[in-house]
Amino acid sequence: MSTMECEVDTNRTIEAKIVLLGSQAVGKTSVVIRYVGGMFSKHVSPTIGASFFTYKLTLDKYRIKLQVWDTAGQERFRSMAPMYYRKANAAMLVYDITCKDSYYDIKDWVKELKKNVETPIVMCLLGNKRDLEHKRRVSASEAQEYAKSIGAFFFETSALFNTGIDEAFFQMAQELVKICEMPNSGIRVLNCHGTDMEESELGSSIKLSNTKENAQNVDSETCLC
Amino acid sequence: MQDKTKVKHNRKMKRFCRKGIPAEYRPVAWMTLTNAESRMKMSPNLYRDLLARSIEPALEETIRLDLHRTFPDNIHFRSSDDFETLQVPLYNILKCIALKNPHVGYCQGLNFVTGLLLLIIKNEEKIFWLMDTLITEILPDFYNPNMKALKAEQELLGQIVKWKLPDVHDHLRILGVPWALIGTKWFICMYADVMPVETVLRIWDCVFYEGSKVLQRVAITLIALNKEKILACKDFPEAVDLIQKSVKQPPCLHCHNFMMHIFNEPGSFPRSRINSLRDTCFSEVT
Repeated sequence: MSTMECEVDTNRTIEAKIVLLGSQAVGKTSVVIRYVGGMFSKHVSPTIGASFFTYKLTLDKYRIKLQVWDTAGQERFRSMAPMYYRKANAAMLVYDITCKDSYYDIKDWVKELKKNVETPIVMCLLGNKRDLEHKRRVSASEAQEYAKSIGAFFFETSALFNTGIDEAFFQMAQELVKICEMPNSGIRVLNCHGTDMEESELGSSIKLSNTKENAQNVDSETCLC
Repeated sequence: MQDKTKVKHNRKMKRFCRKGIPAEYRPVAWMTLTNAESRMKMSPNLYRDLLARSIEPALEETIRLDLHRTFPDNIHFRSSDDFETLQVPLYNILKCIALKNPHVGYCQGLNFVTGLLLLIIKNEEKIFWLMDTLITEILPDFYNPNMKALKAEQELLGQIVKWKLPDVHDHLRILGVPWALIGTKWFICMYADVMPVETVLRIWDCVFYEGSKVLQRVAITLIALNKEKILACKDFPEAVDLIQKSVKQPPCLHCHNFMMHIFNEPGSFPRSRINSLRDTCFSEVT
């Protein structure tokens, strides 16, 4: 086996899992479809169980493969949620700015994540349906303050007008890059040859003994319902 | 048959259902095969009484949130001034189910099953009784808030795959694909809003006569038909993507061939073994 050395600034790939959580009909699926599919549909069915999408982007020297998990919002699907947020590196907590209850429900999700997720999880609070300003029930400043108190990013979004969503995902991606080389980040980092990087290799120049090609090329969208 | 509301269980009837009930007979056949018709006759005023009652606001809201999201692409379910939208009977039926089965309330997915029935049976009260029979007798506990029976059903799928296709079972385990990810919507919706409509109706012809076992036959067949492709998957996203797309592939579009597959492909499927596996799965679900 030949030994190859990677340049320090060669592309690395990180694989991260993002889960969207929030109450029924706040627009989780619409946010995902807007981001991954670049469109808005008035005709979105309720998600039953979960849907699963992949999305790739590049940031600095990193190729980022996001596994985006969109979940069912109805209360009774809560008991299945641990399966979906298990090993998640980031969570988008979505509420509807026109529905106060959906905002209060976020607090339960935060508690649950803190209790059950062991690896660090990047959190982002999303106030969706910003286009319905005239029906607003949750003020941006209140949500902003709450986000700060739980160490989460905060964005108000509109899947309809495509505002705030790219920014939110980009911010999450940046944060994932920032923490991925820390010990125990829980994020999978692959070197330029597509092999897992050892913790000792991260953040330093890398020695490799594997030339396996990075053959993964999934840019797919899957409905998992 | 003297009593038209009772159906004898025999091989001939089973064959008849498996071959597909002609569209014009479906409403009456489904009502009688399930005994929903006789249950309706035993409580002739119930639906009307339930309809007159109101439900608690939170439950009403939960149902209402899904009305305009049920088959939103279907013209019959759109809101319009020009014609009666099926959203009205859909709400009525879901409300009455919740009132009659307070332990169930409303579970997402019931909207799709009820919605598809509305396109076939076109009689609110009959659909209510068919749905009630489904919830209480054909798929007991499936729609309960604790989802225990549903989770057990997914584990049961895993056990059936392990029994019929052990290499696929091993491969998916190594890739880390949990069964509950695959089957939740398949089972909750009985493949409505999952597979092509004609195929779903053919599946229901059998479910209403033979029971929930048929849903498992469909699931194992979908996996068996894609066995080689699944075994070639290198990672989790690839495998999940493949299995989920399997429901829209050509073998599922040709409903007659697909139905032949579900009764031939998995081979023997004895009820006693399925039931005992299900009991084991149920006791292991938390």
